[in-house]
Amino acid sequence: MAQSNTSILSEILAPEERAIESVVGRYQRVAGAVARFARSLTGREDLRVVLGAGSKSSDNEIVIDPGLFQSAYGRRAPVTPEETALASALHEVVHLVSTDLEERRPLPIEWLPKDAEPPGDQELMLLEALDQAGGLPAEALFFALEDARQELQGLIVYPGARSVLADLYRAAIPEAAANTGALSQFALAAFLLTGGYIEREILEKRLDSRAAGALSDATPFIEAAAAATDPWDVAGLALQLLVVARMHNLVASASAQESVQHKKLREEAEQEAIAEGVDRIRLHSPIVQDSESYDETRKASEARAAETGRQAEAEVGANEGTDQILRVSQSPTIYLPSGQGGKLLVARIPTSFRTFAPEGRAAIRQASKKWKVDSRHIAGELHPLFIANQRRGLRSGYDAGDLSPHAALLLGAGLYERMFERRASSTRRSYAVSVLVDASASMLQPRRLAGPSDRQPWGLAAAILGAWTLAAMCDQLQVSFEVSLFNRSFAAQIDDNEWSYGKRKNSATAELRQSQGSAADRLTSTVNHYLLSTFDEPWRRCQDVMAGLFWAAASPAEATKAARREARQTPPVSMFEKAANVDEFNITYAAQRLAASRAEVRVLVVLADGMTRGSVDSLAGAVEVVEQSGTTVLGIGIGDDTVEATYGRSKVVARPDELTEAMVDGVRMSLRRGLAMFGHDTWWMRSGRDRQNQSWTRKTKETRNA
Amino acid sequence: MPDKVTFEDPSGEGPPITLDTFKVGTGISDHKLRRKKIPAPDPYYLDMGMLYRFAQVEKVRRENPKDEVVLHLAVRGHMGTGKDHDIEQFASLMRLPYYRIPLTGEVRDITLLGSVKLHGDGMGGTESRWEDGDITRALRGPALVNLSELNAAGAETLFALHGLMDRYQAIDLPTGEHIQLRDDVRLFGTMNPTDLRDYAGTQNLNKAFADRWVIWEKSFPDGDQVIAMLVTRYPTLEPEYVDALSRLATEVNESFLASDSGSRVETPMSLRTVLDRMPAGLRMFTASQDPLRRAWETMVLPHVDAYDVDHYETVWNACVRKGPKIAPYNG
Repeated sequence: MAQSNTSILSEILAPEERAIESVVGRYQRVAGAVARFARSLTGREDLRVVLGAGSKSSDNEIVIDPGLFQSAYGRRAPVTPEETALASALHEVVHLVSTDLEERRPLPIEWLPKDAEPPGDQELMLLEALDQAGGLPAEALFFALEDARQELQGLIVYPGARSVLADLYRAAIPEAAANTGALSQFALAAFLLTGGYIEREILEKRLDSRAAGALSDATPFIEAAAAATDPWDVAGLALQLLVVARMHNLVASASAQESVQHKKLREEAEQEAIAEGVDRIRLHSPIVQDSESYDETRKASEARAAETGRQAEAEVGANEGTDQILRVSQSPTIYLPSGQGGKLLVARIPTSFRTFAPEGRAAIRQASKKWKVDSRHIAGELHPLFIANQRRGLRSGYDAGDLSPHAALLLGAGLYERMFERRASSTRRSYAVSVLVDASASMLQPRRLAGPSDRQPWGLAAAILGAWTLAAMCDQLQVSFEVSLFNRSFAAQIDDNEWSYGKRKNSATAELRQSQGSAADRLTSTVNHYLLSTFDEPWRRCQDVMAGLFWAAASPAEATKAARREARQTPPVSMFEKAANVDEFNITYAAQRLAASRAEVRVLVVLADGMTRGSVDSLAGAVEVVEQSGTTVLGIGIGDDTVEATYGRSKVVARPDELTEAMVDGVRMSLRRGLAMFGHDTWWMRSGRDRQNQSWTRKTKETRNA
Repeated sequence: MPDKVTFEDPSGEGPPITLDTFKVGTGISDHKLRRKKIPAPDPYYLDMGMLYRFAQVEKVRRENPKDEVVLHLAVRGHMGTGKDHDIEQFASLMRLPYYRIPLTGEVRDITLLGSVKLHGDGMGGTESRWEDGDITRALRGPALVNLSELNAAGAETLFALHGLMDRYQAIDLPTGEHIQLRDDVRLFGTMNPTDLRDYAGTQNLNKAFADRWVIWEKSFPDGDQVIAMLVTRYPTLEPEYVDALSRLATEVNESFLASDSGSRVETPMSLRTVLDRMPAGLRMFTASQDPLRRAWETMVLPHVDAYDVDHYETVWNACVRKGPKIAPYNG
């Protein structure tokens, strides 16, 4: 902030920092204060300020369109991104709460030329009256004056925010003055002087001589506009400015010979020139842009007011695009060793997969038999070793005879719940396993099994069965365990079903295409990381979801049929889209979570069936950095050998039994290796490790480079 | 002849109230100590109305002794609103020895009333003697007792004070001694509001105990009051700085008082920050490019919870953004 006088916004912000999700992310940091300022400005304690598609305001809510903030970040002005976030939001709030041109009054007689017929008693709205008295140029001048007046008066208690606007506007003057005509310059000068953004003497030097001359005559009216408290007074002053502009030949005088059509065209051109000058300077706010935008905003506000009073569901439905931008902006940014970075949308897997749990459990039992996976056998082999190791991690006297003499005291102090309590402290949990499964639609496609005609969708199913087996094993061994799925698609939410997922996706895509154009795809097809079971929750809690997911993966056709039949009762099976993943973001994130578990032995198993959307080098670099941090990364390729080029420890599998075996054996090997590292290096472990290692392709950085 | 003190109503509505001050007579055994405990007047103190209200109560008591109405005053307000300072200055003006007794959760009834303690005679023998607690000691002579953090005390501590606060107006010690509330003793209290704010150890005041107090709210000073305080205390502080400090304090404290957690900060800008720390910071950084910003960074932001920093900085950007270009003090 201290440097804000030297750094130029457009130079310090990279293009991706001007993307809508970054803009919204920055707004979120100031949102609390902006909401509080809005309440102070309106005196309404219950006022909410929310983001939405299209600006509008009602008695208890202001909706701000984040797209409006975006243009401010492209300015070459000496302001910081944080200052811009505040000023652009507060600017919109001030205009939304200050603009009300609905009051009806008779057309003031002084607005009309002296020789005109006196107006009737009919009461008109301000813009109607202004249109009758001065036409389109008067309306454009009115909006320029009213915009500046509202900023001057609305932000009087926030001089810091006003100074940011001043810097943004002043920085735009040279370009605006160089590329506009005298009328535009006159209008932009009226705007700047009414708002008090610059001294007249300084501004005049940059203006066309005709505009400068007119400005001199217009000064009393501009000063009066700055002090006005009634928009009708401002409208009267806009008409005075129009007279001055006419005196200086900035606008043409109406003549009796002028046809209606010609007059209309002339006024439109003058209105456009006035708006062009001001628009090159000011921040865009639809409600003070022109009469059309004003009407649209008012209509939207009225609809919103009715909506908020009626039903909450409509409120959500109307903002899916904004909600999606918010989700993306709030998601973590993952940085790769290559310096690249990107957003990773982290969410819990929808719990509605539980619906398929009964079928899933039966299917898992069958598949375990068919693919010869037995978690009890594996856990049984490792159990004695782990119990010996975990014993040191137990609190209180769980093991017979091992009761602390202080147990009674600690019990009294509330540190122990029971005298004989089994509680392993998190810091003593030495092992953690994370399984990361590719969940793109290709994993659900039929693959070859025994013969060419025997094709089944076993990729994701076998991976989930492997995860299930590992989870059961880790639960028995008290090893921390996590399973995540990753894909690239429209991200599902924890409470989604097929119907809500589809509805959200369609609404968000349509809204974002309209408001963000080509950026919509980036915002809707996100890189997703779904947490299925996490380190800190018991395995039994997510068994049903995992079983349901297994059934959806093993019988995708049936699952899709069920989803079509009863979309509101079935999980969002269409969340598995066919789009290339960005494996390296997910691996980096999973590794961060593993590291946060503070386990000494960390194993990350990654299952994928194809190329990453990023580069092979980038993926290999990410894997290598994770390995260097002490985490063992096992890459398993399902019918795809990319893993051999990217993972230090890799295996390519072609059958489901190979996949589950590779997962389980890989983890078993790594856990045994971990035991050896921490003082359990016995001959039988070494031989086991060597045997296991032989079955895994080991590639080092050197061989990969070679 | 007793001295007199006059209290003016800062709002200009009420008439000035003139009261006789108290005297600490030589008949009291610890009169020397008590005289030392009369607080010195703060030359920069500005009454925002609280002292005048205290004086109104004092006047009613004195003018209507037969009513025998027991009026003990408690001031409730957020941290840094100057509650204790008001009471201390009232003691100073009324020439009453000031006993500030903080009622933390650790304070027990024996701490307040007293207990029997063993004393050695220097020859191997011991004897047990009664030793007054904090409040008993104060009640033995003229005093203004300020029981600060009223709602942090445990229930049994408060029960010990019930008799003193109601019409009985006395406490009975375990020794059988009866301590009557003297005419020249005034009981005051302060407390923080009990809401979701982080005032560790506070609780809702026991209803029976609360009923023995007149409880007045003290809010944060508004912008004009902050300006008046700063101008009184720092006459050479440039108006631009005074204005900016007042604006920052008002806006931050409005955010502190906001009703919803999404737009609220958990740390207010206390009067200690505005009247002591920031002006000191401005002196420290007089020579820097932006003294106000440096003082803000050094004296304010370190007090703020990490999750509130964005909000504080947004208030800074909205209200100041760039500090005045001139030196903070003109003398």
